[in-house]
Amino acid sequence: MSFTDSNISINLALFKRGDEQVFKLVYDNNYERIVGFCMQFIPEREEAKNIAQQAFVKLWTNREEVNTCNGIRAFLYTAAKTDCLNYLRHEKYKLNYQQDILEKREKLLNQEILESFKFDKLEYMELEEMIQNALEKLPEKCRQVFVKSRFEYKANREIADELGIALKSVESNITRALKILRKELKDVLPSVLWMF
Amino acid sequence: MDYTIIQKYLQGKASNKEKEQLFNWLDESASNKEEYIEIKKIWALTSREKNVEGKTWSDIKPSESKPAKTKTLQHWLARAAIFLLLISCGAIGSHFFSKTIENESPVYSQMCTIISPAGQITNVKLPDGTLVMLNSGTKIQYSNDFTYGNRQLYLEGEAFFDVQKDVEHPFIVNSEFLGVKVYGTSFNIQAYPEDRAYTATLIEGSISLLNTSGEEVTKLVPGEKAYFAESETRIDIRYVDTEMYTSWKEGLVTYRNERLEDIAKQIERWYNVEIIIQKEGLGDERYFGTILKNKPIDQILEVLKLTTSLEYEIIPRANEPSLIYWK
Repeated sequence: MSFTDSNISINLALFKRGDEQVFKLVYDNNYERIVGFCMQFIPEREEAKNIAQQAFVKLWTNREEVNTCNGIRAFLYTAAKTDCLNYLRHEKYKLNYQQDILEKREKLLNQEILESFKFDKLEYMELEEMIQNALEKLPEKCRQVFVKSRFEYKANREIADELGIALKSVESNITRALKILRKELKDVLPSVLWMF
Repeated sequence: MDYTIIQKYLQGKASNKEKEQLFNWLDESASNKEEYIEIKKIWALTSREKNVEGKTWSDIKPSESKPAKTKTLQHWLARAAIFLLLISCGAIGSHFFSKTIENESPVYSQMCTIISPAGQITNVKLPDGTLVMLNSGTKIQYSNDFTYGNRQLYLEGEAFFDVQKDVEHPFIVNSEFLGVKVYGTSFNIQAYPEDRAYTATLIEGSISLLNTSGEEVTKLVPGEKAYFAESETRIDIRYVDTEMYTSWKEGLVTYRNERLEDIAKQIERWYNVEIIIQKEGLGDERYFGTILKNKPIDQILEVLKLTTSLEYEIIPRANEPSLIYWK
């Protein structure tokens, strides 16, 4: 299992024509990642799912505008990003009247992070490729743990049991993976959005 | 920073105390924050949420035609800056107003009409302070109770609206097939009679499309273009490059099947030239397309040449407008 495993090649002409089977394939291969993405920024699970589903509806409505297979995923992430941001901005007004400083700070931070994402078609292709390459560079054990944790929905406890290692070791391997990935991806994931 | 706290936070397992620790660390330096943001982005991009409910595409796929939703007026109040563009609408015929308006506002007999002649762009300020820029060959009509809060008008052609904000009185633009309702802000509408079709493009904010009974048919989000043809039963909505639809404000003039003789008259005015059409029948040929008004005249003529049989010769004259033969 890898980051791009589901980057299946699809018949773009059929996709644009609105072929049900092709669209179903696109949905099946991207749904979990788009929901996963939204949930990282929207704590309200149902809302996050709703936003992710809307991304697919938008993709369907605008399918004729998509020109490459890679553009599909970039489109989905862009739509998810936009709607998450709209949601958070709207929530911000409510938060002004709230006492929960922590929650407010979390939302503002999430907003800032979302804004710094760039999902231009070419940049997204490059990003996906670099994440894939970075994952492959991870030490074996580290990669195993990270892949199970991130792509196979495994809890740390389960991973520890499966691999016969200590819970602490699972945590430290994830930390290690994150540190290595960050180093590898620093240039493609800027924390600030440069306007010029 | 202890990465186990970051990890716990990312996995949604951090306690409030740990969250506070994390945020304090973020406040300590810009590089801490940068580090966290980069980690979080990797986390988000590698995130997968198991589809436990087994939601499939057919569960969420919208039905082909967008169902009509009835929303309260208050719903629209929340919406702000709106740019809208409606392109092409059907022939108007003899009646100018949809049944709804006739029923609700019998006073429409006293009407103000503003016409922007072909080749001209006209700026108008409506009684409520709304600014309207009318494109070439456009007509708007409104009744004289417009001032008293009945902010409705009828459009034939294309116009850009910068609507004076007034949450109590919705601003409604009607045309033959669809209407638009907003409370303040800017939008652009094109509704030329000969097309039997209607297009709306929203650049910012939110907008409601109304059917002839005044019910909301659908809403647009920024960047979306709605297209409705008389021959079809559904409204097609898609993302577009919205700039393309407002370019006329920048001096572009669109001709929709206009006679070359009429176009020649306008060109004579814009450029202070004299045009003599020599070729039999050339003046009756029709041109369909957009030209940029502030380009040099030879560029305009070159554009006209592309789709008509026009040939030309420019003869500069001293102390007199240049003479141009169309042949």
